Amino acid sequence: MTVADLWTIMPLLILACGSVLVLLLGAIVPGRYGTAIGVAVCAGAALWALQTPPQPMAPTLGVAFTPFTRFFLVFSAVTALLSLLLSHDHAIRQGLGGEEYPATVLFGTFGMGVVAGAANFLTLFLGVEALTFAFYILVAYDHNRPASGEAGLKYLLMGAVSAAFVAFGIALLYGATGTLEIGRAVAASVAGGGIALAGWGLLLSGLAFKVSLAPAHLWTPDVYQGGPTPVTAFLASGSKGAAIALFLLILPPLGELGPLRAPLWGLAFLSMTVGNLAALLQPNVKRMLAYSSVAQMGYVALALLSGGRGYEAAAFYAVAYGAMGLAAFGALASLEEGKPLELVNELRGLGYRRPFQGIVLAVAMFALAGIPPTAGFAGKFAIFFAALRGGEVPLAVIGILTAAASAYYYLRVVVNLYLKPADGGGSGPLPTPAEAVCLGAVTLAILLLGILPGPLFDLAAEILR
Amino acid sequence: MTTYPILTILILLPLAGGLCLAPVWNCRKAVRPIALGFALAQLALAGWLLFAAPGMPTAPGAPAGYFLWEDAAWIGRFGIRYLLGMDGISLLLVTLTAFTSVVAMLVSWRGITERTALHYFLILLMESGIMGVFLALDLVLFYLFWEVMLIPMFFLIGIWGHGRRIYSAVKFFLYTLVGSLLMLLAIIGVYLLHGDATGVYTFALPALARAPIAHAAAPWLFGAFLLAFAIKFPLFPVHTWLPDAHTDAPTAGSVILAALLLKTGAYGLVRFGYPLFPEAARGFTPLLYVLAIVGILYASWIAYAQEDMKRMVAYSSVGHMGFVALGIASWSPVALSGSILQMVNHGFTTAALFAMVGMLDERTGTREVAAYGGLWGKVPVLSFFFLFFAMASAGLPGLNNFVGEFLILVGVFRTTPAAGAIAFLGIILPLIYTVRLLQEVLFQTERRPLQLPDVTLREGAILAVIGVIDVYIGVHPKPLLDILRVPVALLTGVAP
Repeated sequence: MTVADLWTIMPLLILACGSVLVLLLGAIVPGRYGTAIGVAVCAGAALWALQTPPQPMAPTLGVAFTPFTRFFLVFSAVTALLSLLLSHDHAIRQGLGGEEYPATVLFGTFGMGVVAGAANFLTLFLGVEALTFAFYILVAYDHNRPASGEAGLKYLLMGAVSAAFVAFGIALLYGATGTLEIGRAVAASVAGGGIALAGWGLLLSGLAFKVSLAPAHLWTPDVYQGGPTPVTAFLASGSKGAAIALFLLILPPLGELGPLRAPLWGLAFLSMTVGNLAALLQPNVKRMLAYSSVAQMGYVALALLSGGRGYEAAAFYAVAYGAMGLAAFGALASLEEGKPLELVNELRGLGYRRPFQGIVLAVAMFALAGIPPTAGFAGKFAIFFAALRGGEVPLAVIGILTAAASAYYYLRVVVNLYLKPADGGGSGPLPTPAEAVCLGAVTLAILLLGILPGPLFDLAAEILR
Repeated sequence: MTTYPILTILILLPLAGGLCLAPVWNCRKAVRPIALGFALAQLALAGWLLFAAPGMPTAPGAPAGYFLWEDAAWIGRFGIRYLLGMDGISLLLVTLTAFTSVVAMLVSWRGITERTALHYFLILLMESGIMGVFLALDLVLFYLFWEVMLIPMFFLIGIWGHGRRIYSAVKFFLYTLVGSLLMLLAIIGVYLLHGDATGVYTFALPALARAPIAHAAAPWLFGAFLLAFAIKFPLFPVHTWLPDAHTDAPTAGSVILAALLLKTGAYGLVRFGYPLFPEAARGFTPLLYVLAIVGILYASWIAYAQEDMKRMVAYSSVGHMGFVALGIASWSPVALSGSILQMVNHGFTTAALFAMVGMLDERTGTREVAAYGGLWGKVPVLSFFFLFFAMASAGLPGLNNFVGEFLILVGVFRTTPAAGAIAFLGIILPLIYTVRLLQEVLFQTERRPLQLPDVTLREGAILAVIGVIDVYIGVHPKPLLDILRVPVALLTGVAP
């Protein structure tokens, strides 16, 4: 390991050291600066990554710093920063505290950064586990609610199984190809015969769990519902982004999908239909959004399946969905005081009583439904564009029809916000400055990416070159 | 004069007006004049264009017929351009949009007492979206405006509507969304197939229309476009959202819905559907004829049975739009001019009718035909206008709708005599329900003791202006037909 290597991975070091720093500081001045330091560390990591020129990999570390890494690292750090902003006041209202929280968020972000930079399968696995491990803790963080602990446990059990799948899949790929380096291993696996294929199968199953593609999505509604809402926001934005990044690391070197096409097709089809249909009648707003995220990841799977332009679309959608997830769950989090928001109809009339959060939530819903001019539309357009270009016509038609059906449940939220009288419906706190900054930023991002998506499309094309 | 981006201003001015409402959001007295001011400014701009247009040459860089043209790169990665153009067809519809928005604001001047700022904001947003639809020539840009229109209308129906307003709003939204999402796939399909065939990948209409797609998938793609447009039109049998949406919408919503939203479907078919797929469209012509005629007859029949006046007018809209579809299906210069003129006519007349039903509803709280009777003696001015617009809608010669229907029928007779002959029934049937409506509402003896004052100055002014326009187009349609001559000739491929 050389000094140059250290400079290369400096953003990761900032995140990791920041995490430790927050924990240590908690022992000295408890309960004061956790969030502030966390925000500063995230901002620092993001800025450092932005001004670092892309480097070839740091060979001894198994971590590279490509434009791709920079893109997803900055994305992860920014989502972490925004999630921390959301969490701070939410935690105060819910009577939660402690430095463990920001420290764990930073640790998870570190994991995401490692995933984005992974050059070999081992680092990749460690990154994924670091990130998932952080979420086991974060989901179970609300010690006042048994549901939170239950969700954390469910996540942990399912996650452990999927980690085993991923690890075994990597082992098989290694056995078949003799290398752990992602690019070479993936390229060699094409001619790797049955063992490589089995490895891919296990890897896909494990990863399907991470991105919650049906039929490996069963944990999603419970975890999204049980976890503290800002954590759900982070889970939906940062963690989903990292999982998409992971797919974008291992799929493009394949060239042709070959035998992987059928399972991916099935995952995309099931996720789009099951996710959207299950969300249709779901009365609990967080569960509904959880199923919606299953469906949204189905669209991403459709993009991945289409290859070429599809990879760009997936990268774009990672950012778009990150903004939408943060906006949707963030707005819900900012409306919670004491009891968490449960039912969609608890939002009755809130659009008038809490106009700011109402607008944010409504914009997020229209964006998730893919209505222009929002990031959701631009992303869906790119995905269906890639799908038709890749020749996936039947799946594109199915996808577009499920998207039309999905508008119903997104509209239900808007209907409750604006069209129903607030007869005894829930109210909520006004947004705090931190929440206002975060929600305002993501809402602007959603609209901006809808009106001027060009630069991000170009960037996505560039990082995947 | 083309140094100013007039088309962009047309799209952004209402939006800017909407944003200007923000500082006075809670002050109803200030909101209404500001919103109206912007709408009037827009109308002035559109009106000026209407007078200036006949002398304007083709804009530099534009295909023949387009006298205003704006073109800029937008999303380079997909070859999507910010491409706006205005020809005679757009010009008429833009003017109609600007006018109808003013009417929509005026008819809801008193009726809307809650969330006034939001109401006017949505009308302005709607105006922006519809302007965009009538001006966009890049398929993706068109699609963007096409969807953007949905949102304000959804809220207009859902927030200020009556009856089952939420059901109707959601039904309206989902119905149109299904059609338009399939159209989105078709748009991408057109791009890819056209690009594969010619090597030029573009979403710009002029380039796409120059080399229509000869691929076997063309009928499917046209089918997707047709479905989206047919839903908006609305053509039988995908018209079922319309009576609900109309009945439950507030007056301003009904006015915009009838006068403008329905026109976007017909406009889309004329501007995009036929030029993009001339071959496939020819194959669909019999189907379009059948749907149009069935729609005309069926809607007239159903309208006769309606007890709710608003529902009756809504069904009459379905019938009138059937005529528009008929003219488009025949795709001959005369019929197509008639169709486009009829779009404008229907916009004015039906807007007035919905406004009048709204006025009656505002006064008495009911729209049931059976509740009224003997209005002629009690409120003569209101009754006069009611009679006037109902007869205009039924196609009384000398008024505007007659001109449109006449041109359509003449054109259709020439290309397809059978269709013309059956459609002729469609001219008679509206008379039946119109006469029934007038007889029951205006001339019978009073059935319920309703307290109604006659029209106010504001209402009278709206109705009088629309009435004058109706008469003017009815007796002297030539200026409008002149504006349409060149674009229609270019579309149908006949020398102007």
